[in-house]
Amino acid sequence: MPQTGGGEEGVRTADQQAATRRRLENTVDMALFAVIVFAVAGATVFVMSVTIGDWEFWADWKDRRYWPLAPVAALLIFPAGLAAAFWSRFRLPVACTAVVLLYSLMRWLSAYFNFHIFGGFPLSFVWPSIFIPLAIIIDCTLVITRSVFLTGLIGAFLWGLLVYPVNWPLLAAFHEPITYNGEMLTAADLLGYEYIRTGLPEYVRVVERTVLRTFGDAVTPLTAVFSGFICTLVFYIAWGAGLVLNRQAWLKKL
Amino acid sequence: MSVTARSLDLAEHPTDAGEAAQFEGIRWSTYFKVILGISVSFFVYRLYLQKYAFSVGLDYFEPEFAVYWMRLLYGQIALASVTLVGVVFYLWQTRDRNLDAITPELELQRYFKWITWLASYTLVVFLTGVLGAESDAAWHQIVIRDTDFTPTHIEIFYMLIPAIIITGVGSFLYARTRLPMHSKKVFVSLAVAIGGPILIMPNVGFNEWGHTFFYAEEVFNAPIHWGFSGLGLALLGLGGVVTHIVSRMKELIDEVATHA
Repeated sequence: MPQTGGGEEGVRTADQQAATRRRLENTVDMALFAVIVFAVAGATVFVMSVTIGDWEFWADWKDRRYWPLAPVAALLIFPAGLAAAFWSRFRLPVACTAVVLLYSLMRWLSAYFNFHIFGGFPLSFVWPSIFIPLAIIIDCTLVITRSVFLTGLIGAFLWGLLVYPVNWPLLAAFHEPITYNGEMLTAADLLGYEYIRTGLPEYVRVVERTVLRTFGDAVTPLTAVFSGFICTLVFYIAWGAGLVLNRQAWLKKL
Repeated sequence: MSVTARSLDLAEHPTDAGEAAQFEGIRWSTYFKVILGISVSFFVYRLYLQKYAFSVGLDYFEPEFAVYWMRLLYGQIALASVTLVGVVFYLWQTRDRNLDAITPELELQRYFKWITWLASYTLVVFLTGVLGAESDAAWHQIVIRDTDFTPTHIEIFYMLIPAIIITGVGSFLYARTRLPMHSKKVFVSLAVAIGGPILIMPNVGFNEWGHTFFYAEEVFNAPIHWGFSGLGLALLGLGGVVTHIVSRMKELIDEVATHA
């Protein structure tokens, strides 16, 4: 229906207005895309790096006790925080997957350029963990349940619970037992001995002692369940933080 | 009223010399020049790091280190200081003194320009987070720390972090001096998203102090680094900034589309 737009150009139809609106909105989306990608990728990798970095950097740090717990819980902060913004404001249940996809791409970029090309470590020693399927589970839970509470309870719990089996195809070979100078250790431990780092002896992380170091006890499922519990809590806290930081709050003075 | 008729009155709003006489949306050429310029500069720096970090950057007390790295450090500090002062001076001096009277077209155009500022800020955050910090992580596993001035420190602490400060302060000040909503009040999410990463620079002082006195080696997830984590988490505030930009620009677009 023709509408009067006013001014010297006279009549402007609703179609013309809609076309202008659509063009400008698309421009905003495209311009903001790079901002979001840069910010999410940079922030997530940086925060992970200085919070739990070593578990992501080194194959011999991917143990059964802390690796399925600390990095998994720490990585959930950004996806959950941004999911709060994307879900509450735009009803887009894609934030977790998008954040983790970006994080994974950038970790591989860093593993290759920083640790392999610059530092000289073999890629098989510095590969990052796999989190993408876990992020998809959280987003799918949000879509299906449309409930933040249930997403934390089910999706975030599965995020922590399943990290070990999701990574097992890559990790299994590194946990093969090896006898070396009369001592039993894993292939990953041996790689750690071969690629000596300045932080030694801290970097020789024989963290599993006595009965824990039995290649097949209940360490992994125990950690997985605890990790699921921690991740549920982290999800709720990060979601809340995301909501707070996404409030349109203004101060009169800085 | 048409866009032409509502053309930007530069006499009333004599801020940016580059502001168009009429509404033109975003300037993609500027947007991509900014992204490309920062990326290429970093790439060149990275090539320099790759070539000279291990060949002449292992020992602070070698004369070559002074030539290849300390001169670079002094140059970076000088360049960063001059750039920061220049950016602040320019944005303040060219501020819009009549913000209550700007048209929706002009405000919309400024939002597009602000997005370009934010793109530069987040790109530097990206380069710092993905390539800067972790090259330092790799470096510290190979080379024993001798002083606070290592090639990767010179890269990240005296080039990338100052760049975060310059682009962050520029982004904040651009909004403060040219966007009506930001001129009289401070948007909390923006202050958090920009203030947090800027505070990384002072936190470097704590980090280096700690490494000097009680924690020489670099276990990257050690508590001494958690200050960086907390400040990095402040970038979650960018979610709020994006939400604000989308909602405000939607209002402006509706006005512009109706009147155009």
